[in-house]
Amino acid sequence: MRLPVLLAALVAVATCTETFVGHQVLRVTPKSDEELQKVQELQALEHLQLDFWLAPRGLGLPVDIRVPFPSLQPVKTHLEASGVSYSIMIEDVQALLDEEQTEMLRSSRQLPLDTNTFNYEAYHTLDEIYSFMDMLVAENPNLVSKLEIGRSTENRPLYVLKFSTGGTNRPAIWIDTGIHSREWVTQASGVWFAKKVPTHPGHDLCVASILETMDILLEIVTNPDGFAFTQTKNRLWRKTRSKHSGSICVGVDPNRNWDAGFGEAGASGNPCTETYHGPYPNSEPEVKSIVDFVKSHGNIKAFISIHSYSQLLLYPYGYTNTPVPDQQELHEVSAKAVAALSSLYGTKYKYGSIITTIYRASGGTIDWTYNQGIKYSFTFELRDTGRYGFLLPAKQIVPTAEETWLALKVIMEHARDNMY
Amino acid sequence: ELPPSHFPAARAAAVALGYLRYLRGGPGRGLELRALRRARRQDIDDVGHKYYLELELEDVLDKDRTVSCTAEVLYGLGSNSSAPDVQITVQGELSSTEEADKEFYNRIRSLEKELVAENIPDSHGNVPPELEPIHLLAWAASGYVIWQNSTENTKFHLAQVKHVKQLKRSDEDLQFDYMLLLHEMVSQEVIPWEVAVLWHPQRGARVCRD
Repeated sequence: MRLPVLLAALVAVATCTETFVGHQVLRVTPKSDEELQKVQELQALEHLQLDFWLAPRGLGLPVDIRVPFPSLQPVKTHLEASGVSYSIMIEDVQALLDEEQTEMLRSSRQLPLDTNTFNYEAYHTLDEIYSFMDMLVAENPNLVSKLEIGRSTENRPLYVLKFSTGGTNRPAIWIDTGIHSREWVTQASGVWFAKKVPTHPGHDLCVASILETMDILLEIVTNPDGFAFTQTKNRLWRKTRSKHSGSICVGVDPNRNWDAGFGEAGASGNPCTETYHGPYPNSEPEVKSIVDFVKSHGNIKAFISIHSYSQLLLYPYGYTNTPVPDQQELHEVSAKAVAALSSLYGTKYKYGSIITTIYRASGGTIDWTYNQGIKYSFTFELRDTGRYGFLLPAKQIVPTAEETWLALKVIMEHARDNMY
Repeated sequence: ELPPSHFPAARAAAVALGYLRYLRGGPGRGLELRALRRARRQDIDDVGHKYYLELELEDVLDKDRTVSCTAEVLYGLGSNSSAPDVQITVQGELSSTEEADKEFYNRIRSLEKELVAENIPDSHGNVPPELEPIHLLAWAASGYVIWQNSTENTKFHLAQVKHVKQLKRSDEDLQFDYMLLLHEMVSQEVIPWEVAVLWHPQRGARVCRD
């Protein structure tokens, strides 16, 4: 039908100068030569500024006329006086245009209307993820709230979603994704996890039972400045975007900036490198805000930081070869979690301490959280093993999130059943 | 004996894989590591560290089959040593790529303008199907670079083909000049690397050394 095309054209015009407030579109279908002549007379009356969307072509064929507001009375009088019947196709052209424009903008930016129409199988922008969070909270006001725990170097808000069925300062499980901005499957998985938690109660007794006694805290975009940079300038940017005096290079590795073996072997003192630990521990607001939050919360029992890629489940330490006192228990939990993960799609993970499995790394997140007394401190490295690496195809987002969720549930259940 | 979950074995396996990709990879074959079955390390006085590996490989274009192979990777002593010495034995046959190679060769030869492409995969992990052979040839080229530049303290992967440009030749080889981005796992650096590759269905891939 011609209507959408014409409307689109009008939108283009309407956004510039003209307004179509009060304009109507009338349809006349002449059934006799006299009626046809009456309609054709209208075409000659230029002062009416009529816009024929469908010109008179013959008997029985519709004539569509956009009539500006001032001309409505004369046109209707002209038609009625001659006994020519007409119908009002569009009551107010401007109202329709406004609606169309909203719809066009929405579909061109793919703005979903709610978390059920959100596309979990695609990578999203920071704005889209932040608006997803607001939608999730709005849809689940009794379960989900959004906490602002600080601001990034470039003053972006740092948001944590809190999933809680009540109580006061219940023991909690912390999950963060996207601390390294180029690891896009992690933020995307975080969004999926966020949606999964409220979707559970009817479907999964496990998470429902966890939420009876524990809270879940989820920071989806832990490094928003870096994330924005990967969208606009450099897809493979890892660090924060801070500038420290004395160097032209930008950024600190947020997973070398924690106060656990800070500055020791396993991090770099060179600001121009990817593992630069920063000038001092917690120099990065993205890190400090979590440190402050964890300390003031005081009741976090499991801390899981999610990265990609390599398909690994890791526990502390990275900064020293000394095994953690809880090594055996963490190793056993890892084995169970990895088995659960594999059960879905056969994805193979290795597991072990950071320093034996991947490399020596100092100033790392879970080394600090473990030393704070959070026994169940784990890091995931999600898909894949190098075929696509950081550039994991979007169609792998949901399978990755699904299998990882099974592993997370194992860790969460273990924390719930082994309260300390 | 080394636990396969520990990183020294994984790093040696990555070198072996890079070497094999260079030797046997191409537009019709992308070799990936399915599993590292066993690993052993031998310290040889005044020579270096030698790793003995049992690997299970798959072709990303034919994931139902796997192929076993054994590899020996010898890292020399000293920081300025030359490329690790690699010996690989493939048990059984790799699937033939004759048809895919011929089709790719003819397609490129019949292009009116030289092929140019960038960002493979793109930010969202997409590789257009017609560029997949170019992607796999980049793997073969990166295999050479990875083999030549690896030490026990590095683990390289091809992160992205930043840019590729075909150069028309008067002989029968195809030539592609690649700008590759290599991701080094230990330092986490992304390193750009220019590589010129010749390729021919019978002669395989050869990196131009300058």
